[in-house]
Amino acid sequence: MNHLHQADQTSQDGDETGSPTHRFRAAVELAAHLLPAQGPITVFIHHNTLHAFEHLPFEEAVARGAAVFGCEPYLTEDRYREALAKGRIRFADLRAVLDEELGTSATDGIPPSCSRLDLRLTMLQYPLATGTSAELQWTIAESDALRRVRPESSAAARGRLISETRRWVMRDLRGRNGSNPAWVRDLFDRFGSNRIERWSDATWESFALEALWNVCRGGAATAPAVASPPPPSVRHRDLLLRATGADTDRPVHDLLTRFTAAFLDQGVSHWPLPDREHGYFRSFCALYGRSGGPPERWLRDVSREASQLLAAGTDPAEAACASLAALGVPTGDWGEYIAATLLALRGWAGMVHQVEARGDRVAHPIPADSLVEFVAVRLLLERFAVAATARDELGYRGPLEHLRDELRARTPPAPVRSAEERAFPVFQLAQLFGWSPAELTRLTAGEWVLLFREIDAFPAIERRRVFHLAYERRFREQCLDALVLHDPHEVAAPRFQAITCLDEREESFRRHLEEVAPDCETFGAAGFFAVPMYYRGATDAHFVPLCPIVVTPRHWVEEQPERHAEEQHHKLRQVRRWFGTTAHKAHVGTRTFILGAVLAATVGVLAWVPLTLRIWFPRLASWLRRRAGRVVGPVSHTRLRIERAPECGPANRSDGLGFSPDEMTAQAERLLRDIGLLRGFAPLVFVIGHGSNSLNNPHKSAYDCGACGGSSGAPNGRAAAQMLNDPRVREGLAARGIAVPNGTWFVGGFHNTCDDSVSLFDLDRVPDALRGALAVARDNIERACERNAHERCRRFMSAPLTLTPAEARRHVEARSEDLAQTRPELGHATNALCIVGRRPRTRGLYLDRRAFLVSYDATQDADAAILTRTLQAVFPVCGGINLEYFFSHVDSPGYGCGTKLPHNVTSLLGVMDGAASDLRTGLPWQMVEIHEPVRLLIVCETTPEALLGVLHRNPALGEMAVNGWVQLAVLDPHGSAVQLFQKGEFRPYTSGGDVLPLAATSADWYRGWRDHLEFAEIAAGGAV
Amino acid sequence: MTDLAALAVACGPVAVVAPLALVFVLGVPALVGAPLPERATDRACRALIAIGLLATLAVFVLMLATGDRHVVVNLGNWVSIHHPTDENAHYHFAVKFEYDRLSLPLAVLSFTLCGTIGAFAARYLHREPGYTRFFVLFAVFLTGMVTAALADTIETLFAGWELVGLSSVLLVAYFQERPAPARNGLHVWVVYRVSDAALLFAAVALHHTTGEGDFDRLLGTAPWPHGRAAIPEGQALVIGLLLLLAAAGKSALVPFSGWLPRAMEGPTPSSAVFYGALSVHLGVFLLLRMSPLIAASGWLAVAVVALGLATAVYAYLAGAVQTDIKSALSFASLAQVGIIVAEIGAGHWLPILWYVALTHLLGHACLRVLQFVRAPSLLRDYRELENAIGEQLPRPIGPLATAPGGVRGRLYRFALERGHLDALLVCCVVRPCVGLFLWLDRLERRWAAFLRGSAPVDGSSTAPRTDPTAHVAERRT
Repeated sequence: MNHLHQADQTSQDGDETGSPTHRFRAAVELAAHLLPAQGPITVFIHHNTLHAFEHLPFEEAVARGAAVFGCEPYLTEDRYREALAKGRIRFADLRAVLDEELGTSATDGIPPSCSRLDLRLTMLQYPLATGTSAELQWTIAESDALRRVRPESSAAARGRLISETRRWVMRDLRGRNGSNPAWVRDLFDRFGSNRIERWSDATWESFALEALWNVCRGGAATAPAVASPPPPSVRHRDLLLRATGADTDRPVHDLLTRFTAAFLDQGVSHWPLPDREHGYFRSFCALYGRSGGPPERWLRDVSREASQLLAAGTDPAEAACASLAALGVPTGDWGEYIAATLLALRGWAGMVHQVEARGDRVAHPIPADSLVEFVAVRLLLERFAVAATARDELGYRGPLEHLRDELRARTPPAPVRSAEERAFPVFQLAQLFGWSPAELTRLTAGEWVLLFREIDAFPAIERRRVFHLAYERRFREQCLDALVLHDPHEVAAPRFQAITCLDEREESFRRHLEEVAPDCETFGAAGFFAVPMYYRGATDAHFVPLCPIVVTPRHWVEEQPERHAEEQHHKLRQVRRWFGTTAHKAHVGTRTFILGAVLAATVGVLAWVPLTLRIWFPRLASWLRRRAGRVVGPVSHTRLRIERAPECGPANRSDGLGFSPDEMTAQAERLLRDIGLLRGFAPLVFVIGHGSNSLNNPHKSAYDCGACGGSSGAPNGRAAAQMLNDPRVREGLAARGIAVPNGTWFVGGFHNTCDDSVSLFDLDRVPDALRGALAVARDNIERACERNAHERCRRFMSAPLTLTPAEARRHVEARSEDLAQTRPELGHATNALCIVGRRPRTRGLYLDRRAFLVSYDATQDADAAILTRTLQAVFPVCGGINLEYFFSHVDSPGYGCGTKLPHNVTSLLGVMDGAASDLRTGLPWQMVEIHEPVRLLIVCETTPEALLGVLHRNPALGEMAVNGWVQLAVLDPHGSAVQLFQKGEFRPYTSGGDVLPLAATSADWYRGWRDHLEFAEIAAGGAV
Repeated sequence: MTDLAALAVACGPVAVVAPLALVFVLGVPALVGAPLPERATDRACRALIAIGLLATLAVFVLMLATGDRHVVVNLGNWVSIHHPTDENAHYHFAVKFEYDRLSLPLAVLSFTLCGTIGAFAARYLHREPGYTRFFVLFAVFLTGMVTAALADTIETLFAGWELVGLSSVLLVAYFQERPAPARNGLHVWVVYRVSDAALLFAAVALHHTTGEGDFDRLLGTAPWPHGRAAIPEGQALVIGLLLLLAAAGKSALVPFSGWLPRAMEGPTPSSAVFYGALSVHLGVFLLLRMSPLIAASGWLAVAVVALGLATAVYAYLAGAVQTDIKSALSFASLAQVGIIVAEIGAGHWLPILWYVALTHLLGHACLRVLQFVRAPSLLRDYRELENAIGEQLPRPIGPLATAPGGVRGRLYRFALERGHLDALLVCCVVRPCVGLFLWLDRLERRWAAFLRGSAPVDGSSTAPRTDPTAHVAERRT
C-alpha cells in the first residue's frame, strides 16, 4: 500500500503540501460543508438549505446548488406562467425587472425587427417548444405546427405573416422557378402552384408556415452551433452507469445505508452494533472482515481487504488514500471526487457529520473522526464494486486505476444541436412577432448568428430567474404599499397586553385578539422571551434546552410540585414508572419470540379496539386517553424553580442552577426593552409561548417554536411571567428606569398552534383584584382562538368553507388528534414577510399569516443596540425558516424530503423513504405545499443609517443582506417613507398604490377564499 | 333446506360481490378519465365494505341459528367440459364459496381491517396524486382476500390469490417515480410468481389425483378442521409440499423472506394492512385450509414445523438489529408468522393447535396493523416512555449480545445482512436457472439452424452478453 502513497506524492503538484492523509482529511472537511446540516429530527432547527453557498449572491448560489446537488433552482416556467395568467405576476413586473436588468441595452435591435426587451418578454410570456430532432420530426409530422399559426399569436402578427408571404410569393417567387431554391420548388409542387390563384386562406396559412420553417432551417444551417461539452463525470459510477446501465451505487448504498444506520442507531434495534465504540472504520472491518461473509463476489473481496486492514491496524485515512490511488484518482481531483462521493449519500453522510459534531444532542454519541472513516469505508466499497461491475459488464480486466480514463475515452461526445433543434424556437418566435419568410431570407449570415446568440443568451434558467424576480417584486410591492398606506393605530390605556412569539402564525392570533378586544395591546418577541434555559417538566425525564440554537443556556430550571402535593407527586411517579416499564416491555416484547407469540395470541385481538377508536373516533379516543392520563398525569399544583438554589437541578451541576435575582432582572429588562414596553403597562400582561401538538408526525418538532430550539415555548412564557412578578425584579427594573406599576400582574401562557387552544399558568397566584379582568380577558382569548381556527381552516381543503368559528375550533382539534392526518397544521407555510417595528404600524392590517412581527421601538434605541440583537436573531431564525421552506417547496424531492407517506423513522434520527433509502432531510411536501417561495422581506422601522451600521458591524448579517438571501427595507419611524436595500444601498421606494381595500373584520376579508390574499385594512374596532 | 339456510346461501355471494363492485365503482370512472373525487371514493369504500361485512356477519348469525357449520355457496361452473365417453375425464371450474370456522373469521378480519385502514387512508392520502390508484388497488386487494378466504375450490382460491399478489405488488411500487419502489415491487412480483407456480402445480396435481379442484372432494365434507384427506399419504405429501412452497412465497417464509422488508415502500396504510396483517397471513391461511393434508402426512407436518421454526428464528435474529421501525416491525411480524406455521404443522399431533394458530393469526393481524399505522409515532412514543420511566430507555441485553466475540460478530452480520437470503437466491437459484435457459436457447437456435440447413444465427447480438436476469429483479428501471 505504501508504494501507492509514494507514487501519489511524487506525482503531486507543487502547490499541495502535507502528507496524503492530511490532504485527504482536508478534502473531507471541505466537502462536509456541502452536506445537509440537519441534526436529529427530534430537535428540528430550520436553516438555510444552501448554507454552503451563503457567501455567494443568491442567484448565483441557487444555480451552483442546482449544479452540485442536481436540484431545481426556481419553480418551473409553467408554474410562473400560471402565476402570470392568474395575475400573481403582472406583465408590468416582468417588464420592470427586465428593464432594470438590461439597462440601456434593452432597446438594442435584434434582427430582423425587435428589441432585446421585446424578444425576452415574448420568450417569457409564451413557452417555446423544444426537443430533440426526433421529437421535432414527430411534432412537425403529427401536429398542426405547419398548418396553423400558434394560437397565442396576435391577429396582427398572424395577418402580417400570411399576407407578406402571399405578396412575396406572388411578386417574387412565382414565375422564376429555375432560380428558386429547391425547397421553394418542392413546396410549389406539393401545394400545386398552377392553381395558386385559387388557394384558400388555410392553404396560404399552411404555405406560409412551411416556407417559414424552411427559411428558419436554412438560417440555422448558416449559423454554426456553438457546442460547449459538459465537463466529464468525476465518479466512476456515473461513467459506468452511462456505459453499461449498471449502477454501482446500488449495492454500495444498500450495504452502507444498513451499516450506517446501525452505527448511528439511538435505540431502535435491540442489539447494538458490536465494536461501535471503536469507530466506524474499525467496527466495519471487524464485522465484514470475518470469514463466512456475504456470498457476493465483490463483497468477498471487500471482506478480504477489510481483514487485512484490520490486522495491519491501518489508519482509516491511509486506507482511503490507498483506495483513491487504486481507483486512479490523481491528488488534484481529490476535492471534487470526495465531494461528489459524499453527496451521493448525503443524508446519511450529513447525519454522521452532525452526530459527530454535536454529540451532546444525542443519547449515544459517536467517536470523533467518524465522517473521515465513513468516507474511507465508502471508498473501499466503491473500489471493489467498480472493479466487479467493470469486470462483469464490460469484461474489463486491466488495472483499476486506468478504468476511469478508459471509460471517459469510451463516452461518446455530447451531440451537437441539430439545425432543426435550433431553428424551431425561431420558427415559433417568428409566428409570435409576425416575421415573414421574406423578411427572414434577407438576413445575412451575421444577423442569423446574432439572432441565435440572442436566443441562446436567454436560456430556461435565466427565464426562470427573471420570472422569479418578478414574482417577488409583485409581492414586495404589495407589502410595502400596504405599510406606506396604513395609518398607525395607537391604543391608549390598554385593558390588557399580550406578548407572543414573533412567529407568523401568531400574526392572525394577535389580529383576532385585537379585533375581539380593541382595547388590548399585543407585542411580538422571540419566543424564548429572553429566558434561555435548560428545562425539565415535572413528568419529564431529561432537561431540554429552550432557547435559539446559537445560544448555550447556563441555567437549569425545573418544574416541581408544590410542597403539599409532593407526596402525591411521588406516588404518581411510581405508578407512571410502573406503567412505563410495562408498556416498554410489551413494546419490546411484541418484537421478540415467545413473549410476542403469547401477546399476539392472547391480547392481540384487543388491539382492534384502540385501532378502531383512533381511526373512526379520534376525538373520543383522545378524550379517553386524556381521562386515563389524568389518573397518572402530573399533579396540577406545580411551580417553576427559577431562583438559584443549590438543591435544585441535576446533582452533577453545581453552578448556574436557576437564576439569581440580578440575573432575573437583567433578563426581564432585556425582554421589555426589546419589545419597547417601558411604560403604559396594563393591569394584566400575558406572556404566551407556543408549540404544536400532533400525532403520527416525525416532523413534529418542525412545527414547534424555532426560538426555543424546536421545542414548546410554554415554560419560557411561564418563567418570564414569574420573573416579572417577582418584587425584587420589579425593584431592580425600577432602578433601571422601567417602572412596572404595583397593580400589574404577568401571566404566563401557552398557545397550541395546532388545536388553537391557549392555556394559562399559575392562575391561583393572580391577585384577587384582577380576577374579574382576568375572566374577561380569558374569554377574549378564547374567542380569538376560535376566530383564529376559523381563519386557518380556509387553507385546509378538507375543511368546508362554511364552518362557523366554533366548528372550526373543533375541526382543528380533531386534526391534532387524528392518527391519519398528514397536515395537522401548515406550519410556517406562506411566510414571506418580517416586520421589525412598533405594532401600531401594522395593527389593523390583514397580513394573511405571512408576517413575522417583531416588536421594536426605534425611538427608544438611540445606539441601535436593541436593533442589533433583534436582527441577530431575526436574520438566521426567520431567514432560515423562510429559506428552508423556499427550497423544500422549489424542489421537494431534492431539497425537501418529498411526500410524508412512505416515511420510515430510522435510528431515532430521521426518516427514510420506504424500506431503505438515503436519510431524507428538509421539509415534507405536506408542510410546504401551499408555500409561496419568495425570499423573506424584512422591513425595519428605523433609519437607513442605523440599519447600515448594524449590517456593517455584523458581517454575517451584512453578507445575507448584500448577497440577497433576504430582502431588506426600512420604514421611516416618523413618517411613511420606505427605502429598499438594493445593490448595497438604500434607495427610496415609490408606492404604486393609492388606497388599501377595507373590510370590517378579518373574516369579512378572507371568507370564501382558499388562496393567498392581498393585504387589507381591517376597520378599527372591528369587534362584533 | 330451511328458510334460514336458504337465506345464508343468499347472503353468501354478497360478501364477494360487494368488494368486486367497489373495484368497478372506483375503477371504471378512473378508466374513462373522470376519477371519483376524494369524498365520493371514501363514501363508496365505506358503504360497500360495510355491506360486505354485514353480509358476512349475517351468514355467521344464520350459521349460529341453524347450527350448520359449513355453508357452501355454489355460483355454478365457470367452465365445464364433458368427455363424451369417459365419465372421469371431465373438467369443471366451479365458482364455489364456503363459510366455515376458518373462512368466516378471516373474511370478517379482512373486512374490518380494510374498512378501518380505508378510512385511515382516505385522510392520510388526502391530495395525493395517486389517490384513486391506491383505492382501486385496495379494492382489488380486498376482493382477492375475501375470494381466497371463502374459496371452496382451488381454482377460486387461486383467483383470489392472484388478485392479492397483483395488487400488493402494484402498491409496493406505488411511488413509481422513484426507482427503488419499482425495483422492490418487481422483486416481490418474482417471488410471488414462484409461489403462484407452486400453487398452480398443486392444483394440477389435485385434479390429477381427485379429478376436480373442489375442496370437499380433497379434504372431506366435514366442517373444518375435522376434514379427512381423501388421498393416500404419498400424494398428500407431494401436494402438501407444493402448497407449502406456495405458502412460503406468499408469507415470506425462509428462504423467500428477503422480500418482506422490501415491500415497505408503499404508503404506510398499505404496508400496515398488507404486510403487517393480511397479505402475509394468506400463505398461513392456505396451510390451515389444507390442514387435512397435514393430518394425513407426518413427513409433511415435520416439514411445516421445520420451515416455521427456521423462519421464526431467522426473523427474530434479523429483527433484533433492524434500525428502522418498518423493517423492525416486518421482521417481528415474520417471526410470529413462523411460529403460526410451526403451530399448524404441530397440529398433526395435536389438532387443537389449529384453533390456536387461527387465534394467533387473528390477534397478530390486529396487533400488527395498529403498530404499523402508529409507526410514525415512534419518536413521540419513545419520548413518552422515557418520561414515564424517568431515564433513558433500557436496551435489553438479549442472549445474542452476550455471545462470545467471534460468534457474536458473525451472528450480527448474518442478522444485519438479513441472512444473505437474497444474495443466496441470486447465486444459487437465479444464476443457474438463467444459465440453463440461455444454454437451452442456444441449443434451440442451433437445432433450428440445423433444420433449416443454414449456419446458426448468432444469438449474442440479440441476447444480452452477460446473464441479465440475475439482476432482473433489481436493475434500475
